[in-house]
Amino acid sequence: MNKATVFSIKRFAVHDGDGIRTTLFLKGCPLRCRWCHNPEGLSSKPALAYFPDKCINCGACVQACPAAAHQIDKDGRHVYLREKCVACGKCEAVCLGNALTFYGRIMTVDEVLPLLLEDKDFYGDTGGVTLSGGECLVFPDFCLELAKRLLDFGVKTNIDTSGAVPYGAIKPLLPYVDTFLYDIKAIDNDVHIHCTGASNRQILENIKRLCDDGARVEVRVPYVPDFNDNQIEKIADFLSALPITAVRVLPYHNLSGSKYAALGMAIKPPERPPTHEEIEAAKDTFKSYGIKVL
Amino acid sequence: MDGEQIIKNILALDEKNRNLPHPVRKALAFAYVLENTRISCDCRDRFPAINMVDRPLNKTIITKWHKEVFEGTIPEVEKTRRFLEDTGIATCWPDYDHSVPIWERVFSLGFRGLLEDSERARVRLAEKNKLTAEQAAFFDGIKITYGAITAFLGRLAELASKTAGSERLAAALCHLRDHPPETFYQALLANYIYFMLSEHIEGLQVRSLSNFDRIFYPFYRSDLDNGVSEGEIRADLAYYFLQFTAIGNYWNQPVFFGGTKADGTSEINELSFLALDVYNKMGIYNPKIQIKVGENTPKEFVMKALDMIRRGNNSIVLVSDECMQRALMNIGVTREQAKLCNVTGCYEYPIQGSICYGMNYVNLIKPLEFALHRGCDGITGEFVSIKTPDCYPTFDDLYREYKRQLCFIIDRVMETVNAFEDYLAIVNPQSMLSATYPSCLEAGKDALAGGAVRNDSIMLFGYLANLADSMAAIRHFVYDTKSITLNKLVEILDSNFEGNEIWQRNLYQYPEKYGNNKPFPDEIAADIVKFLTSYVCGRPNSKVRGGTWNCSFHVARQSYDQGRLTMATPDGRRRGEELSKNISPSMGQARNGVTAAILSATKIDAGSFTGDACLDVALLPSATTGDDGLEAMYALLMTYFRKGGHAMHINVFDANMLREAQKRPEKYQDLQIRVCGWNVLFNNISREEQDAFIKQAEALA
Repeated sequence: MNKATVFSIKRFAVHDGDGIRTTLFLKGCPLRCRWCHNPEGLSSKPALAYFPDKCINCGACVQACPAAAHQIDKDGRHVYLREKCVACGKCEAVCLGNALTFYGRIMTVDEVLPLLLEDKDFYGDTGGVTLSGGECLVFPDFCLELAKRLLDFGVKTNIDTSGAVPYGAIKPLLPYVDTFLYDIKAIDNDVHIHCTGASNRQILENIKRLCDDGARVEVRVPYVPDFNDNQIEKIADFLSALPITAVRVLPYHNLSGSKYAALGMAIKPPERPPTHEEIEAAKDTFKSYGIKVL
Repeated sequence: MDGEQIIKNILALDEKNRNLPHPVRKALAFAYVLENTRISCDCRDRFPAINMVDRPLNKTIITKWHKEVFEGTIPEVEKTRRFLEDTGIATCWPDYDHSVPIWERVFSLGFRGLLEDSERARVRLAEKNKLTAEQAAFFDGIKITYGAITAFLGRLAELASKTAGSERLAAALCHLRDHPPETFYQALLANYIYFMLSEHIEGLQVRSLSNFDRIFYPFYRSDLDNGVSEGEIRADLAYYFLQFTAIGNYWNQPVFFGGTKADGTSEINELSFLALDVYNKMGIYNPKIQIKVGENTPKEFVMKALDMIRRGNNSIVLVSDECMQRALMNIGVTREQAKLCNVTGCYEYPIQGSICYGMNYVNLIKPLEFALHRGCDGITGEFVSIKTPDCYPTFDDLYREYKRQLCFIIDRVMETVNAFEDYLAIVNPQSMLSATYPSCLEAGKDALAGGAVRNDSIMLFGYLANLADSMAAIRHFVYDTKSITLNKLVEILDSNFEGNEIWQRNLYQYPEKYGNNKPFPDEIAADIVKFLTSYVCGRPNSKVRGGTWNCSFHVARQSYDQGRLTMATPDGRRRGEELSKNISPSMGQARNGVTAAILSATKIDAGSFTGDACLDVALLPSATTGDDGLEAMYALLMTYFRKGGHAMHINVFDANMLREAQKRPEKYQDLQIRVCGWNVLFNNISREEQDAFIKQAEALA
């Protein structure tokens, strides 16, 4: 029975592929993009997010915690000691202030399937399920089995991927996946390493092979000023040779600071989001290469 | 003459006429207002201005007659009615707010034609049997009323002809005085004048400006064929809409589009698109628009409306053609009649020529208060109901008692309303409306006295979500987990959670809430609806009206008014706080998003009653942007209707709402931010980040 570490399931996802979808977020990622807005998806280990502003000091988590990671200090205030936390998730359910979110339940395909089928009536012909994360393909067997079983119910699957995984993890999915939502961040390898901590060689190889193998691919290009904004022309040139369906430009936003803080993760985010003009110019660049822009 | 003087003189005139029957007295007062009220024309407006004197008949003789009946003739009934209202158990009052004339007759006969048709009906009836005094008064009322209207049209025409730049208006008014409308402009004028005179002077709200595209299309088509430019038609329409925009009351003026023709195709035509386009370009919010949506409705039209909604226009409500037809046919209406039903007010749907009345708002929480307090009101502590068992060993025992208490309230409300509805036509006889209903003319009977094709009454039930959630909480905490005894729970509720805030949080956070596609609360909601339809629907209403009862789930502002008079509830709501609306989940409790809310709401069989069952849906701008967003809204709507839903009201969060979410996060804990591949709850982001979203929402507007 295939398992994966799940950190979120979001219903009524409207921008993760066509139609109305449910997006399943899997935990773990080979990249470390400087602008990542889902920090809870980076590590494959379960983790607890604590939003201190919402804590009402009721002490319910203290009662539930087996590791004394939640304590009441001498001033009667709740403190969360991350270093003691064993990430069991028991505190999340009892928190009366909605201040705790547990990321990283290990779930089987059997457990996940009914949750993804709950909104089946809304998917229609175009909607369905999107597997995302993190990087969902760090659990290739899980994704493959899930996509197959969803298809049995007439539900289509999209895969939202960085492409930074062996092609062997991607290829088996081809008959069972409707669209690959594929990220391209940079063409120059040194820029890519600076932005994501990893080389792009495998990523660029994989998208070519995917296209050769007849997959339907929609490319996402995050636009991050001062990081990959000088790559747009090169990306457009690269993509113009591939039979992708379209490109979607994703403007960087700097609104995930609280998630990082809640996870006890340091962040040194890119300074500024792109302007409207910069995004339009990027879209125009893709269009000038004959690429459809969503 | 100014308004104050008119009011004074009406009372004096009525005193002189006091020996005449009510329909005649009212018609004479109506005629007096029309003869004397100030009117004006201006070359800058294609419609005349009429000083409505702010409902002169309602303020004077109708109020007088209301008092005579309620305090004089049926004081016991009034006492009960008052008591029910003051305690927040049920708010009911005579409904003069929810009827629609048969617009086809207004347009095919015109005002003089309606008068003449009424006179012909009088003659026919008199030939069969000598007219009773009531029948004679009924026809006299119509004659005087419509005589006054035609004279008034003459007055308006004369003024317009003297006003430079109002020649076209003058010609149209002159025509309408004696003939039915022939052009689009004349039809708009006739509609406007009927509406203004009925709602603002004669004293009966006109609760739909018509099935606009169906009714006005022949005029539009004929104008175009006769060489009138589309530009001219658009301009006339813009001026027409502006007349209603300028009124600006909270209940607004509804107009609806769409429907199904006899051959099964959609009523949507070029005029539907044109009208929506004019409305959109004007950026107005009144009149408010309803659209009958079905599988046959052109997607393009629905998308146009959805696009207007996502850009902030929340004056548009979408109603399911199929659901309304199904519900109506369930009560014996033919499919032809069902197809032509009006959409009135918020989302009611009476068939043409029928009255389906109800300002009877019943609080579904009160029976729970009584069950938990030995028949006493949860706020006042007074014994107001029936004796309860001493204890409830099982949840089913409590649930059974709840239903018993509910029946007790329903019976009291029915008795009360049946009693006063006998007097509807006495307090406010309907000359204008009844003349448009052939069935009234056939019988010589007022539309409010049983003359309409159907003469039904509606009981509107509120706070289904709070009730379902409260029952789920009681079952879980008291009976399943035995975390608290029922008595202790009631104590905590009675003290409004003082000293027991942890319990308030526990109850509020308990996730088994209606609107999340959870089996038990949804089961309760569906079961209560089933129970109510079986207990209420089909029962006889007032003897004079001779119709039947039905129900609906819409409570307008009572969520606040009755909420103030309702105890703290086991769903974690504090005493006096607002209660849930329509069939929507409680504020902030739809934690699994809009799809889950729809799944819960469609477990209710909206075809089993002929009344509102509207789901309010709130979407963030980010979920509605781009083609993706629009397609998603469409898929959401159509899935809801395909699953049997009745009506949907979509609200796209704007900056104000987001600011409200900042102030009251507990009411918005389900508000999620979604952009590509990203998700976070609005409540989980920092203040600065929230402000950024508010800015974004402001920018989108």
